[in-house]
Amino acid sequence: MTDYANMQMRDAFISELFEQAKHDRDIIFISNEYGAPSLDIFREELPEQFINAGISEQNIISVASGIALEGKKVFVYSIASFISLRCFEQIKLDMCVHNAPVTILAVGTGFAYSEDGPTHHATEDIGVMRTLASIEICSPADAKQSSRLVNICLTKQQPRYIRFDKGKFSILSETFCYSNDGYGILENADSEVLLLSTGFMTHRAVEVAQELKTHGVGTTIVDLWKLKPLNPDLVEVIDKVKYIFTIEEHTVNAGLGSMIAEFVLDNNCKVRLKRFAIKDDLLYDYGVRNKIHEKSGLDAGSIVRSIIKHIE
Amino acid sequence: MLINDLKHKSARVRSTVAEMCIERGGHIASSLSCIEILVALYQGGTLNISKDTLDHPDRDRFILSKGHGETVLYAILADMGFFPNEWLSEQYRYGDCILGGHPDKNIPGVEHSTGSLGHGLGVACGLATAGKIDNSSRYHYVLLGDAECTEGSVWEACLYASAQNLDNVIAIVDRNHIGSIDFIDSFTSLKPFAEKWSSFGWNVFNCNGHDFAELFTEFEKTKNMKNGKPSVVIAETVKGKGISFIEHQPIWHVKQLNNSDDIDNARKELSIGEGND
Repeated sequence: MTDYANMQMRDAFISELFEQAKHDRDIIFISNEYGAPSLDIFREELPEQFINAGISEQNIISVASGIALEGKKVFVYSIASFISLRCFEQIKLDMCVHNAPVTILAVGTGFAYSEDGPTHHATEDIGVMRTLASIEICSPADAKQSSRLVNICLTKQQPRYIRFDKGKFSILSETFCYSNDGYGILENADSEVLLLSTGFMTHRAVEVAQELKTHGVGTTIVDLWKLKPLNPDLVEVIDKVKYIFTIEEHTVNAGLGSMIAEFVLDNNCKVRLKRFAIKDDLLYDYGVRNKIHEKSGLDAGSIVRSIIKHIE
Repeated sequence: MLINDLKHKSARVRSTVAEMCIERGGHIASSLSCIEILVALYQGGTLNISKDTLDHPDRDRFILSKGHGETVLYAILADMGFFPNEWLSEQYRYGDCILGGHPDKNIPGVEHSTGSLGHGLGVACGLATAGKIDNSSRYHYVLLGDAECTEGSVWEACLYASAQNLDNVIAIVDRNHIGSIDFIDSFTSLKPFAEKWSSFGWNVFNCNGHDFAELFTEFEKTKNMKNGKPSVVIAETVKGKGISFIEHQPIWHVKQLNNSDDIDNARKELSIGEGND
């Protein structure tokens, strides 16, 4: 049995994709001159299905779209900050306008590359990607979820952007229920507080929930592994609570919190919403991830204090 | 088809393009420079594309990367029966706008939507990569403007095509020497242009882009190379070709042919209404 807790998300995805690609010659993997331990065997055993297209994000998306428009299932693998921004127009025009079944595998979301600085921070990717009409955005929180996404990509072929964090994470499905499309839930039926998060920050939400519990505050946690489109059934989850707190490692403009705010408005939900996100003051910083979080008020302690004040 | 017949066809396309631009706007100068290139490709037997083979996997692929030459493509596709001729007057930049100001993949015969520059060559490289994987004998043609070659993405695609040995890619550059507001040499000179392509690992051919015999000779050479390298035909052209006061004048990239004297003079030069067919 696969030990997902000891795997990186990208490796879980690529390993599963490799298994499928052995039997499906239409799966084509394009690397933006970017590697992974799990990619080595793919390159070695399936060289005709692997392309290293160099460090050229614009061309990679155009090429990937062209290959996909000829009936192939194309996966583009890159660092999130580069592949979400450098080639945005290619994603819009060549990929989305043509509905080319390209899946972008974007590694290093948020402050995952915290010590590498602002060039590597991907703290705007949800915001830009969700402006594109036909793209699906997935944002898994652990390696097991990441692995499951392969089947979704191969079953429902369309433009797609998948965000992967770096590092290894506990497996949320051991406690969360993932029977709904697009999200997992750890429900506390008596709670008035809903924590909504995605990816890496869902683990932060779990920490926050544990700490709130010591203060006598129960919570329901939702892990949104699909950010676009949002599952409309979320209304039922939201309607059960009085307060929603969104927790994300993304600029406050246009990210998860903005999406949920729009969702709440559009669905006329009677709920109070507060967003925990990166403030709109250009946090272009180097540092250990937790230290950066402390500066942004995204550490568990700051979030807990703020929530308690908010619900008093 | 005999070259004389193609000359007649290109004269008719030139008149059609002018009338479309007079009626609805459009990039007249950029269109006039690439008429012979597109007629040679579509109606001179270079591309194996017809309305009956629209979905055939081995049909050649053509992308008009300089999407602002759309009137020429529309006039030719209509002439070849891809869609009704009436669309040129009733649908171009008008009404339901089936024929928009740049090519749209939903138009019969249009392979890929373009309009923003620097996309077509990369996409063609993707189609060509798939063509290699599928062992298809088809070719992938792209028409670029020369000013378009100041886009970095064009050169990313050049590197890729060469590295992937895409000898099934044939780029044609409409070398009219003018961008949107000025001569290219005045802002970002591309010189030495041919050497740039060859240094990127491409076979390079040069010709007069208004001369059918030269175009066919060079197109034929590109197909016969089969040396693992992509090919480019740099076609020297005149921006605004055929209407003297538009020729070589940068302002006509965006200027509309809507002044009555200009319209009369343009029609006179193109002999529109005098039965030049």
